[in-house]
Amino acid sequence: MYRIALKMLMGDRGKYLGIIMGLTFASLIMTQQPAIFVGLIMRSYSFITDLGLPDIWVMDPEVQWVDDIKPLQDTELYRVRGVAGVAWAMPLYKGLLKARLPNGMFQTCIVVGLDDATLVGGPPRMVEGRLADLRRADAVIIDIDGAREKLSQPPAVPGGKRIELKIGDTLELNDHRAVIAGFSKNTRTILSQPVLYTTYSRAKQFAPRERKMLSFILAKAKPGEALADLTRRIRTTTGLAAYSREEFMGVTFRYFLKNTGIPINFGVSVMLGFIVGAAIAGQTFYSFTRENLRQFGVLKAMGTSNWTLLRMILLQATLVGMIGYGLGVGLTSLFGWAMRNTILAFKFPWYLLLFSGIGVTLICAFAALISIRRVITLEPAVVFKS
Amino acid sequence: MFTRYLLPLLALAGFLFGLYMVVTGNKPTPVAEPVAQPAQAPFESFIAGSGLVEARSENIAIGTPLPGVVTRVAVKAGERVKAGQILFELDDREARAEEGVRRAATARARAGVEEAAASLKEAAILLQLAESVDDRRAISLEELERRRNAHAIARSRLDSAKAQVGQAEAELTAVRTTLVRLRVRALIDGEVLKVNVHPGEFAMAGVTNLPLLVLGNLTELRIRVDIDENDAWRFRKEAKAVAYLRGNRDLKTELSFAYVEPYVIPKRSLTGDSTERVDTRVLQVLYRFDPSQLAAYVGQQMDVFIEAPDMIPQTAADGPPDTRVLP
Repeated sequence: MYRIALKMLMGDRGKYLGIIMGLTFASLIMTQQPAIFVGLIMRSYSFITDLGLPDIWVMDPEVQWVDDIKPLQDTELYRVRGVAGVAWAMPLYKGLLKARLPNGMFQTCIVVGLDDATLVGGPPRMVEGRLADLRRADAVIIDIDGAREKLSQPPAVPGGKRIELKIGDTLELNDHRAVIAGFSKNTRTILSQPVLYTTYSRAKQFAPRERKMLSFILAKAKPGEALADLTRRIRTTTGLAAYSREEFMGVTFRYFLKNTGIPINFGVSVMLGFIVGAAIAGQTFYSFTRENLRQFGVLKAMGTSNWTLLRMILLQATLVGMIGYGLGVGLTSLFGWAMRNTILAFKFPWYLLLFSGIGVTLICAFAALISIRRVITLEPAVVFKS
Repeated sequence: MFTRYLLPLLALAGFLFGLYMVVTGNKPTPVAEPVAQPAQAPFESFIAGSGLVEARSENIAIGTPLPGVVTRVAVKAGERVKAGQILFELDDREARAEEGVRRAATARARAGVEEAAASLKEAAILLQLAESVDDRRAISLEELERRRNAHAIARSRLDSAKAQVGQAEAELTAVRTTLVRLRVRALIDGEVLKVNVHPGEFAMAGVTNLPLLVLGNLTELRIRVDIDENDAWRFRKEAKAVAYLRGNRDLKTELSFAYVEPYVIPKRSLTGDSTERVDTRVLQVLYRFDPSQLAAYVGQQMDVFIEAPDMIPQTAADGPPDTRVLP
């Protein structure tokens, strides 16, 4: 019986391919668009992701997301250190400063100042140089993407290669000299500004004079300390906002959700993919079933039960669904793989596989449902009419 | 063929590729290890503060009483000095010239005394001669009075000349004092921590931004701990305290309490510019430690942890805690 079902399905190649194309398209849209969305959102808090060591971020209660800097007084650091359950707490400066390149060009950079002694909060991977090189005079570490793109200079001869920064080159940060001591590999930030790492006290010199300079306090909980308890304790004792890493990512994510059109735009794309996919696949599947009504009628006249026919249609729907889903996922992955070294934000977590799987299943179920209704209500006598 | 096998195979390959992308694309970001492990408090509940190492005598910024060009610096940084030892000398040519002038003036004044003494002697003889004449007619009363007056004037002149010697000598002593003051000396036994003057430089009198020379007694080191005013009520004198050297948390030392400065001051930023305005006030507590226990330099920053009662706002609300730090 199932062989007949498959033969029926693949017999009409045009329709078969049509259904699969529709489903492939739907599955592609439902994975690729969310993957770009997830990629963008993850970039919005990539700074937190990249900073894996501390458990807790302490900041001004008014901070809305990671780039919304509201600096604290320097002594707050010691108050946080004095909260029971805190293993250590370190200062972190984060700010936007203009870097002047040797050719006179300006580029806004994210400057990150790490605690002078421990350098807690360094970049996740070093491409060249070591983090300890920051202890040298005027040293900064630049992220490699920034150094290759925004901080590179136009070629000396027309058509030549762009001049990239090297270790030992100097930049001017707010009239202060900065020497490049190394290159790091960071996750891109949402605005793709180059990231410069330096020590906290040097960052304070680079930055324009402000009354308060301390952007964040990074804290580590003592082993066995519940993060929720500790963040609450920090909040009540110091009056500052304290978030665990995940909470701070959530704060940043919700800010984007509320204040930018990004999630709605992508949601609309995904919705359109789903609707168009469902329309094409459902309509093609239905017309395919209608064309094969004679065969179903014959089978029914031969005494095949409704249940068997139902299973035949379900098999057909499952098969096209799986093929379409597989192809869609494959195309998305191919897209992601081809774009892996470009500026495009693409992130493919496991739940997107599940998400598009559910989407395709829904489309197939919808297509199968309308066909099944037709077949079940079919009178076998119809076949012999004309 | 294409529809029957290739498509499902392609779909399977696509799905597997998707799985591969999921697995490879979502590796956790590596965690950057700190270059040095941060210091951790050995207490359950504590106050944290930044400490600055200073000498037992506090760091003495040596000044000069007189301004002038430095001609000689007698000590090097790190040198031990005794009380009274010369640290540096200022240009003394003007004072030396003045000394010569004053010495000559003294000699002249002394000669003046001899001159006045001789005049007095002459007047005395003349008076005696006149007085020894018995016959009143031989000498007029006027002449006798004149000689008496001359004698009295000569005596006063001698007193005046003697006073002038005293004045000249005092002036000479004043110039010599100036000469002494042009040599700046150590007032305590200690070690030279910093030398900021060099021969040829002009040394200003009074309090300068950059001290000319820093001196300190290093037999015992002190650590000045800044405690945020909000935490000050938790501080107890008898509480245990530990200091960690920045950059290597294995280097630590137990601290013993020295004293509290019972005056809360605006926080001085240790790292940034001196013009930085930070509107917090801090309580400064001094602890001492043995320099042989921990090789710390004066002026070095340390992370200090002081054991303190836990800060639970509810208990604070129950009743005012014993916040008195004053003895």
